[in-house]
Amino acid sequence: MPAAHADAFRDLEQDVLIQVNGLGKAFDVDDGTTMEIIRSISFSLGRGEIVSIVGPSGCGKTTLLNLLCGLLPPSRGSVLWHGQPLDGAPSRVGYMLQKDLLLPWRTAIQNVMLGLQVKGIPKAERRDRAFALLEQLGLGKFADHYPSTLSGGMRQRVALARTMAPDPEVLLLDEPFSALDFQTKLLIERDTSRLVRGQGRSLLLITHDVEEAVGISDRVIVLSQRPCTVITEHRITLAGDRSDMVLMREADGFGRYVRQIWAELDIH
Amino acid sequence: MANPQIAIGGPPPTADRTLRKPARSGRRRRSRLVVLGCQIALILVLLGLWQLAVDHGLVSAFLYGSPATIFAGLMTTVNDGTIWNDTWLTGSETLAGFVLGNVIGTAIGLSLWYSRFVSRLVQPFIMALGSIPIVALAPIAIIWFGTGFASKVAMATLSVVVVSLMISYKGATGVEPDQINLMRSLGASKHQIFALLVVPSSFTDIFAGLKLTVGLALIGAIIGEFMSSTAGLGHQIFKAGSLYAIGQVFAELVITVALALALSGAVMRLEKWLLPWRHDLR
Repeated sequence: MPAAHADAFRDLEQDVLIQVNGLGKAFDVDDGTTMEIIRSISFSLGRGEIVSIVGPSGCGKTTLLNLLCGLLPPSRGSVLWHGQPLDGAPSRVGYMLQKDLLLPWRTAIQNVMLGLQVKGIPKAERRDRAFALLEQLGLGKFADHYPSTLSGGMRQRVALARTMAPDPEVLLLDEPFSALDFQTKLLIERDTSRLVRGQGRSLLLITHDVEEAVGISDRVIVLSQRPCTVITEHRITLAGDRSDMVLMREADGFGRYVRQIWAELDIH
Repeated sequence: MANPQIAIGGPPPTADRTLRKPARSGRRRRSRLVVLGCQIALILVLLGLWQLAVDHGLVSAFLYGSPATIFAGLMTTVNDGTIWNDTWLTGSETLAGFVLGNVIGTAIGLSLWYSRFVSRLVQPFIMALGSIPIVALAPIAIIWFGTGFASKVAMATLSVVVVSLMISYKGATGVEPDQINLMRSLGASKHQIFALLVVPSSFTDIFAGLKLTVGLALIGAIIGEFMSSTAGLGHQIFKAGSLYAIGQVFAELVITVALALALSGAVMRLEKWLLPWRHDLR
């Protein structure tokens, strides 16, 4: 192999953060049978990329997330992070779920500082970093409020700031916005997109909201019913500011992507 | 749990709360005064009827006492100063047992979180200990700790410790698995998960438990005094009962109730102060 090719190959390797090959998962059920949740999934997540995984509800998206971060062992196939099999929990990964999981006894800023405190970062520095993030998300005034006094959208923004604070390389989001009202959702999608794209992070978003997936992502992976496989993969190209969710919904081709994915999802 | 979402998508309710506060709290205070007035009236009417029935010979004052003899009994304890001594003694026995029982119970209950194996191992023993009626332990407490202050504290502690242990263990194991996974994803060690998540999250349950255990501690202290004592509210009740001084028994009961209310009031204050994020307690 010529040297130039080898270099290009190595660059490519370094730029693939997660590589999933023929991943499958089956659980043993009490009556002795096995229940197959995931048949075979392959995809990759590159550096600076936003990839969404959509599928019908109950198709095993959360199982997939647990496989990705090593909380469950796969029955088949492999998950590679930076080209290596996982050894323990992946590092520099931020998670966000539908539940904001804010700690009620901590104020907004103290919640954002949680990950930094765990890492043992000095108090003054963690406060500064957390406050800067809250400011960026328009919550500077609410830094010292307890979660019980914040609205659902604000709480989810605090959760986003908490996820971002330890400076993750990869974000794994499992339907993080599905409990929010439409308007709040668009705004927080915009904020998420800016925080991810602005700093060259990668995002893997698991969702059942097709419009959200098309609006925010570079690629959308469509999964089938259980036991799930990859039906198709769409590369989304839309003109304009990709973090402007309202603009994206009116962009040329948006409706076509959405209709096509809906048809593929085959929901009766 | 704290109210998870007071206003979804709306303005923060705090702003709104401060705006409306004067009018609402005024009305609330007025209705509270009305309720209090009715409660006092109810007590006065019942006491009046009781006194009337005794005065007309319908009810035996010797067997059932009367408001007049209760009041006389109360005045005697105030005049000879025993009310303060007895209340102080029983109160300090209760508080000592309450603190000791909760510290020991909470420490064991929370630390059981560390090992599923150990907690499963000791569970039946704890259940067995919890099912023993506390009175049945009184003779042992006296043999081990004597007839003085220590045995009453031991009784109060015993009444508290198992309940406190169960509550704090339930609090510790009741932490949402998603929360624990979140802490793991932030790279937290088991000790960090314990200190930053499990302990503070159990506090809500533990403080709810304090209201219950302060009452249990008082029961334990009084049982201890019933068994063998030279002073204390339990001692006075027992003594007056043996002498058929029903009015005096009631008078001591009134003091005991006042002590119980004062103690649980103090615990509620403490809870509000220690849980500033619980806006539902305000």
